[in-house]
Amino acid sequence: MAMLKQLPKIAFQILLLWLVYRCGTYLVVLLHLALPGNVAGMLLMFALLAAGVVKPAQIEAGGGFLLKHFVFFFIPISVGLMAFGPLMRQSGLTLLTIIMVSAGVGVLVTGLTVQLLHGRSSR
Amino acid sequence: MKLLLFAGYLLVTVGAYLITRRIFLHFRYPLLNPVFLSTVAIIALLQATGGTLADYQPAKDAMTFLLGPATVALALPLYHNRGVLRKQALPVFAGVVAGSLATIAAVLLAGRVAGLGRGVLISLGPKSVTVPIAVEISRIAGGEPTLTAAFVVATGMIGSILGPMLLSAARVKNPVARGLALGTVSHGQGTAVALMEGETAGAMGGVAMAIAAVCTALIAPYYFPLFLR
Repeated sequence: MAMLKQLPKIAFQILLLWLVYRCGTYLVVLLHLALPGNVAGMLLMFALLAAGVVKPAQIEAGGGFLLKHFVFFFIPISVGLMAFGPLMRQSGLTLLTIIMVSAGVGVLVTGLTVQLLHGRSSR
Repeated sequence: MKLLLFAGYLLVTVGAYLITRRIFLHFRYPLLNPVFLSTVAIIALLQATGGTLADYQPAKDAMTFLLGPATVALALPLYHNRGVLRKQALPVFAGVVAGSLATIAAVLLAGRVAGLGRGVLISLGPKSVTVPIAVEISRIAGGEPTLTAAFVVATGMIGSILGPMLLSAARVKNPVARGLALGTVSHGQGTAVALMEGETAGAMGGVAMAIAAVCTALIAPYYFPLFLR
């Protein structure tokens, strides 16, 4: 398996990403930013890439692996919804409908706005 | 015994993911969302075996440990797509801000029509923003943070299933627009689904997630009260 041979490299690069994540978390606390640490870490990593301090190839293997399996992390998180069983039984249908409507509105407004403006400016 | 349970939950979750991922990649149908299918299967298993969330917690903590570095890794597709960002700064910002304002207005108005209490309404307000920020917004506005966390997760799930269907129905095919829409409404989970559609869409999901989070945090104190009574 190609992945097995790459494992040390992937592990090392994930460690690097983890360090930047910790720096992001630290920066947020230090500067009282209205951002979560992981998003600050993402912006920090982008700055490092844009400045040429980090080359894409130095994080591509580990980063690519994590991004390929990004959805995985949301499975254990979603299992936590189990705690809200009683609330769901009582008013789950109402809440579900409200969230569906608002999610639909948001997705369409963003999608159509971007597609409209994007189409106009790229032509 | 505890270790056995820990290993068991780890294996079941990874196994469920690998199987449902296969199913999704084969059919590419939004309702077959791997997170949705796996979550339903795992909750059913926990309930059938008398397992509780507390039993599952250690395995959950271990599995979500890498979510932070994974979010940082989003800088990579973002960097590869920096040309799009530079050339399309206006559509990107306008789209995400408009979507954030619209989804907040929709959830608060619909909630009021449904007769929800003020506390639940405020908790619903930041539901489209990534958990760590949403919880803070909710707390400051006078909502219930744990309830908000649950709404955020539910919105992530619903938006990432419903979103791609609606976008396709509205003929939004542009990957930039699709990624931004999914990230704006369904934060990390929407971004994850956008990543499965392609690299550009995934990168835009990450961008949208960041802009929506900052935008919602900044406007919440002034914008939420407009829809509350």
